[in-house]
Amino acid sequence: MTATTPAARSIVRRTPRVAVPPPLVGLLAGAVLWEVVAWSADAAFLPPASAVVARLWEMTVDGLILSSLASSLANLVLGFAISLVLGLTLGVLMGRYRPVDAALGVYMYALLTAPSLVFAPVFFSLFGPGRASIVAVVVMYSLFIIVISTASAVRAVPEHLTEMAHLYGASERQLLLKVVVPAALPLAMAGIRLGIGRAVTGMINGEMFIAVVGLGRVLTQAGGRFDSESVLAVLLAVVLVALGAVGLVQWADRRVNGWLPRTARE
Amino acid sequence: MIEIRGVTKKFTGREGGDVHALKDVNLTVGDNEFLTVLGPSGCGKTTLLRAIAGLIGWEEGDIVVDGESVRRPGPDRAMVFQNFALLPWATVLDNVAFGLELRGESRAVRHAKARELIELVGLGGFESRLPGELSGGMQQRVGLARALAVEPNVLLMDEPFGALDEQTRRILQEELLSIWERRRLTVVFITHSMEEAVLLGDRVVLMSPRPGRIAEIVPVDIPRPRSADVGGLEQSPEFTAITSRLWESLRTMHPDHRTSARAAATQEVAG
Repeated sequence: MTATTPAARSIVRRTPRVAVPPPLVGLLAGAVLWEVVAWSADAAFLPPASAVVARLWEMTVDGLILSSLASSLANLVLGFAISLVLGLTLGVLMGRYRPVDAALGVYMYALLTAPSLVFAPVFFSLFGPGRASIVAVVVMYSLFIIVISTASAVRAVPEHLTEMAHLYGASERQLLLKVVVPAALPLAMAGIRLGIGRAVTGMINGEMFIAVVGLGRVLTQAGGRFDSESVLAVLLAVVLVALGAVGLVQWADRRVNGWLPRTARE
Repeated sequence: MIEIRGVTKKFTGREGGDVHALKDVNLTVGDNEFLTVLGPSGCGKTTLLRAIAGLIGWEEGDIVVDGESVRRPGPDRAMVFQNFALLPWATVLDNVAFGLELRGESRAVRHAKARELIELVGLGGFESRLPGELSGGMQQRVGLARALAVEPNVLLMDEPFGALDEQTRRILQEELLSIWERRRLTVVFITHSMEEAVLLGDRVVLMSPRPGRIAEIVPVDIPRPRSADVGGLEQSPEFTAITSRLWESLRTMHPDHRTSARAAATQEVAG
């Protein structure tokens, strides 16, 4: 773009352009690729994208997806809410108080790296095959990443801010609520975003392996029939749920952390 | 009045030995006095200020502000920080009102008070801006307004204009002086600029490093109101007489000064 004459610029401006959001372009390209690979491979368990979308549509129309979705979403919301409250609380305590960190830190890291599904039988025997077990699995999947990222966010709160609050007479409670938590939220939000993704995984796994309910049940049944179109259709629904949940978290992020300059946020 | 009596503060050095950040510091700051504290880095001037603020403890001696021993931060003392220390998510109004908010003042009361001080520091119209949208000079005006909002008897200023460019610094020096003329409060002002120390202070306390102690107290007998105009006060014989006296003392403390470098080397060998 060296010498653009005014005339040339006006031509560029007049060219009609359809604004396609980049994520949509990526999705379309992925779908096309999937379609091509599926047709050329002609494998038994890789149905083309079009067939999967058609199946998802059928399952939605006959109400199977929606009724299962309601049950799944209840598990997800309940489990994630518990993780969020517990995670922020534990994270702030660990980030702020060294003894708490010393006592709990090793457990948090151990449980973050342990395969969460291993605990499913434990929950099953404790809570039975009901909702409580699935919610426990969702918590198991999403809690620890939130704890750990909140703790490091709290540790990263600039000392000059806590010192300033201390100088102006802040009590410990005021310090936490008015300085530490708001200052830590942007960084903690990264963990919350990861946490919601893991919560969706936990929901599906819990539903498949503990109590056969919700989308997990549909998935298990379709798998049992070797009906890979239905399996992938449900998977697609799950992905949509996850994207919606992440979108919700990002929206909350913008609301809460709107003070950050744009470049610092993403 | 601030009375500092024999205050000694040690830090554990990197090699394990004790480093005297402050050694037997004695100083009295009168009511409504504007005291500037000057010294090279490592002379303990910021440590002294933080001790008066009650942010850090010390081993020996006593600091008494208006008859009361300092144990922790108190409502009688406010501070302006070198890096402003503003809450980046809070508006100018809420930042200025922060000290009052911590004291449990109602929203109406603290906002009314904050608006008054925002006007005083010349930030009228910027109430709903965030600190990130302001220049450094404007951010420090917010810091000053926040300190004044709690109506302190003692204003502690830790190199408040050190992070600002020369022009902004001059303007803020003038405004600080005019606010102090009108409000009359005790100010302890840390700086590493000789000109700033002389321009602002009734007395200049010169501190020397290793161990941090008071080397000299130089009275500034220049009539007020003073102005930071270029070519005015700073060219006057009184002003240059004091700055050159301060410079004579400062240069021998400076680590790059030949005799003091040699002295430090001998000390190291001996120690």
